[in-house]
Amino acid sequence: MTYFARRIGFFVLTLWGAVTLNFLIPRMSAGDPAQAILEQVAAKDGYVDPAQLEAVRAMLGVPDASLWSQYVDYLGNIASGNFGVSYTYFPYSVTDVIGDALPWTIVLLGTTLVLSFVIGTLLGAWVAWRRNTGFDAVVTVGSSFLGTLPFFWLALLLIYVFAITLGWLPSSGGYSGAVEPGPSPEFFVDAWQHFLLPAAAIMITGPIGWMLGMRNNMVASLGEDFTRFGRAKGLPARVLAVSYGARVAILPNITGFALALGGLVGGTALVEQVFNYPGMGRLLLEAVGNKDFPLMQTIFLFSTVGVLVANLAADMLYGLLDPRARRKETA
Amino acid sequence: MIHTTAGRRAATRLIACAGAAALLLTGCSTADQGGSAGESRTTDDGRIAYLNLGNFSNASNPKPNYNPFSTTAIGPLWTIYDPLFEVNKYDCSEVPQLATEYEWTSPTEMRLTTREGVTWNDGEAFTAEDVAFTFTLLKKNPALDTKGVGVRLTSAEATSDTEVVLTFDGPAYAIKDKIIETTIVPEHVWAGVDDPATYTAEEAVGTGMFTVKSLNPQQFTVEANPDYWQADKVKVDELRFTKAAEGQVDQLRLARGEYDHNSMFVPDIEDSYVAKDPEHNKYWFASGSPISLYMNLTEAPFDDVEFRRAIAQAVDKERLTEEAGYGYVEPASQTLLVLPGQEDWLDPSIPDEGMVAYDPETAADALTAAGYELDADGKRLGKDGEPLAFTFTTPQGWSDWTAAADSVKDDFAELGIAVDVDTPDYPTVEQNRLTGTFDMAFGVRGGLCSMYQSFAEPLASENTAPVGKKASTNEVRWRDARTDALLEELEVTEDVEAQKPIVHELQQIMVDQVPFVPLWYGGKWFEYNTKHATGWPSAEDPYAGSDNNRLIYTSLVPAED
Repeated sequence: MTYFARRIGFFVLTLWGAVTLNFLIPRMSAGDPAQAILEQVAAKDGYVDPAQLEAVRAMLGVPDASLWSQYVDYLGNIASGNFGVSYTYFPYSVTDVIGDALPWTIVLLGTTLVLSFVIGTLLGAWVAWRRNTGFDAVVTVGSSFLGTLPFFWLALLLIYVFAITLGWLPSSGGYSGAVEPGPSPEFFVDAWQHFLLPAAAIMITGPIGWMLGMRNNMVASLGEDFTRFGRAKGLPARVLAVSYGARVAILPNITGFALALGGLVGGTALVEQVFNYPGMGRLLLEAVGNKDFPLMQTIFLFSTVGVLVANLAADMLYGLLDPRARRKETA
Repeated sequence: MIHTTAGRRAATRLIACAGAAALLLTGCSTADQGGSAGESRTTDDGRIAYLNLGNFSNASNPKPNYNPFSTTAIGPLWTIYDPLFEVNKYDCSEVPQLATEYEWTSPTEMRLTTREGVTWNDGEAFTAEDVAFTFTLLKKNPALDTKGVGVRLTSAEATSDTEVVLTFDGPAYAIKDKIIETTIVPEHVWAGVDDPATYTAEEAVGTGMFTVKSLNPQQFTVEANPDYWQADKVKVDELRFTKAAEGQVDQLRLARGEYDHNSMFVPDIEDSYVAKDPEHNKYWFASGSPISLYMNLTEAPFDDVEFRRAIAQAVDKERLTEEAGYGYVEPASQTLLVLPGQEDWLDPSIPDEGMVAYDPETAADALTAAGYELDADGKRLGKDGEPLAFTFTTPQGWSDWTAAADSVKDDFAELGIAVDVDTPDYPTVEQNRLTGTFDMAFGVRGGLCSMYQSFAEPLASENTAPVGKKASTNEVRWRDARTDALLEELEVTEDVEAQKPIVHELQQIMVDQVPFVPLWYGGKWFEYNTKHATGWPSAEDPYAGSDNNRLIYTSLVPAED
């Protein structure tokens, strides 16, 4: 049981560290939130009325309390689930704003992550089984090449071809706005259409990491003594591939998958930015750009906690799946 | 919810497309905004059914906020609320809206006559009480006072149903534009609001030409207000504002005619936009506030007027606007006026409308004559005998500004002066500019309809501060007794004709003393499409500034097709 206790202790300690860093880091960057908001409002070459700056400061009530009392307030607020009012969306609360963005990210990234994982792992296993064949070479080299293409470029290419030139799919956004958001079939269809291009862009490169990881692990596990022993026993190829090769090789991928699930809460800024998808990644970029400390901190907090919880879950799972991990810790 | 038949058609098409799109089959087209570009939008009774417009919020997932005094409200609130007057940003004329006239009864007291027969869009009558209430609201709530009018107000009283008297703590001619441009809100709605700063005004009760039809994070739709006080002038039934796409994608959408009007920066606009549909894709980039070269006047040799005069001649504004502004923008006049819009104010005795001719040889000779010698290596020396070298600070990522800074650097190199262009992030540049810890930087001041504001902000001593302290607006740190005296006089002069000689002398100070060097006029990006609507302001017919929406949307008529 010490294995599990130790993991949980680590979790709590890291969580406190993360929460504290999360408080400190935004406060170390230069600049005034009121100024940052006005920079968004006024066009770049535009003239800014100094009275507006004062009004925004009055509106935001930008803190000038001591760092320590801000920290105490911050911890108290986190504990009570009060994350404050967003500067960018004033007077709406951070919880409101995140509540709008989170479902979009979870659906887009969750779906593509599961698909990428399944496709990548299956393909990796298959390629590893047929290692050192022409098929292996084509898939491995081909996907490595595909993986080096810049995502931004791929995404713009997709938009240019499918949205602008062919006009099959919408070019941006999570839904068109002509259809009122709500649980109606029209809205579902509309959202589905907007989902396809960003999902496709992610899926082009998404499975590659899982595929290469699975292939390399499985090539190694197929060369292990226990596999050789199984082969010597005359086990059928299917059993060797699945129960001997893949079963061992998939372990690191499962940890990776759990971590990726945890990281999902933070969204991916790049995808959401290019496709103007209304998710967490774009929200985070916006919060950073506007020095919206309450929003920024909460998103960081959510994604940190997500990763930590996933990490803990992966550790627990690993302990259950792989007896060697438990034994190593107690020894 | 589907509101219109067009919407229903679009929805049917979306459903029909869904399966096909999933399988990526051909033959199914979905326009981004519904309604194909080809079909006529003129209704049977000769109106424009709808217009597609650009962004309505800077936020990525806009939420309902129709508080006209909130900085985080959605953008196009001109559709819902009206001010007392609309100041035409092109020629600075005042167009009556909720007020029909105003009069200064003393330098501290303004008497306004409000329009009769105006109703709020919830049916209540608009009266002078609403005006008095709004001004008092701004006085009581500094968070709403984004123009600094409330802070100057002593009292606002309705003396009858159609007359309001505003009194100020001192001569208030200088903030006249800010006063008359104040957006008026209904007392019967706002009086019951506990905290107006956090109020989102979701009922959106206004007197404006449109009312809210729907808002979601992707689209903001307003429909014509049948009770608008000049409803007969509005020929558009509906405006649809759409969330901007990623920059390059939005430019492609613009070129395809998906926007009837937008205000965005488009590189190489002739090829990437106009050429796609030369008959309908039009643009008008009017001149806005000038972007100026600021030299820190607390440092040598910038404190020497001879040096600054030479620099004004040595900067090649033509090349700079070509390199940095894609040729979209115009070189700026040294008078600080935006020409030709403000030519009525121009001092006729100033040669060439204040366009200082580029003449590097004369500038170099003048510098040598003023004691800034060239050494054997061609480096120009300061009066202390050390080679001159400066740092030019401009925000990272603002590519046109960086290009302009490089152009200035080349001009200085021509004189034998080394300039190093430094590009920290924007907050750092802003901080350094305000505290006076810079050698050279760009600044945006002047070019407003209020001459007092235009000249006082960058030039009045009261707007500056010692180096290390934040100046409010006078970042170059110009301190001059004559300038201050002129500004004080201008502040208490109401009559425009009487203001002119003062403004002329201020222009002469700009030209003779060169407190800073206006380089180019900021572009007011304005693209419009004449397929569905005509009557947009343009270079040929600049009847309104590109942001005077109340004047534009009462002038549009359906395109003849």
